[in-house]
Amino acid sequence: MLFFRSEELVRDWCAANDYPVRPLVTIDQLWGLAMTWYSTRLQENSRRPKPDEMREIFGRLGLEGDFWDPRSDSFG
Amino acid sequence: MDFDTKVKLAVYRHFAETGQRPSLESMAARVSSDVENVADAYVRLRSQRVLVLETDGSSIRMAPPFSGVPTQHVVIVDGKQYFANCAWDALAIPAALHRSGIVYSRCEQSGEPLRLAVGSDGPEATSWLFHCLVAAAKWWDDIVFT
Repeated sequence: MLFFRSEELVRDWCAANDYPVRPLVTIDQLWGLAMTWYSTRLQENSRRPKPDEMREIFGRLGLEGDFWDPRSDSFG
Repeated sequence: MDFDTKVKLAVYRHFAETGQRPSLESMAARVSSDVENVADAYVRLRSQRVLVLETDGSSIRMAPPFSGVPTQHVVIVDGKQYFANCAWDALAIPAALHRSGIVYSRCEQSGEPLRLAVGSDGPEATSWLFHCLVAAAKWWDDIVFT
C-alpha cells in the first residue's frame, strides 16, 4: 500500500515490476478508510470491520468491484 | 475488561506514548501479569488481526496502524515520531491519535518526497494517489507484503 505522485507513475511502477494496475484511490478516500478503520483503535470497544461492513464502507467511499470485496475469489 | 483487551490497550497505548513497540516484560508489568500470559494473549490478538508478530512469536512487528520497525512512512504528531506500516496506516496514525500530524513518505516510482499535513478534519488538498496491489480478500495472506 503505497503513495504515488500521479497515475502515470503508478503505471510506470506497475510496468517496471510486472504488476497489474489496481484501482487508484485519492487521498481523501484514503482518509475515509483511515478514519473508519482506526479512529477508535485506542479505545476499549474498538474492533475491525467485518466483511459485510468492509464492503459497505468501501462502497460508501466509492471503492467498488471485486478488488474491494473481502469475500471475492476473483484474485486467487 | 477481559485480559486480551487489557493487553491490546496496553500495547496500543505504549505505541501512542512512545512511538515504539513495547517489550513483553513491560507489557506484563503494565497489565500486572507474567510474560507467558501476555505472550499467549499476543497469539490470540494475532488471530484477531490486531497484532502481527515477528518470527520469535513475542516481538510486535505491527499493531496497525503502528509499525514496530522503521519504515519509509514516518508520521510526526506533537513532536513525536511514529512509523506506519503503509500509506493507509500513515494517515491512520493521526486518525487513531485524534491529533494533527505531518506524514512524510515518498512516491514509490519517482522517489519524490511526500510531506502531507493532516488535520483533525483530514489531509490538506493534494493530487497524490494511493495504490494497493493486493485485493482486499488477500490482504491478510501476507500482511507484511500487503
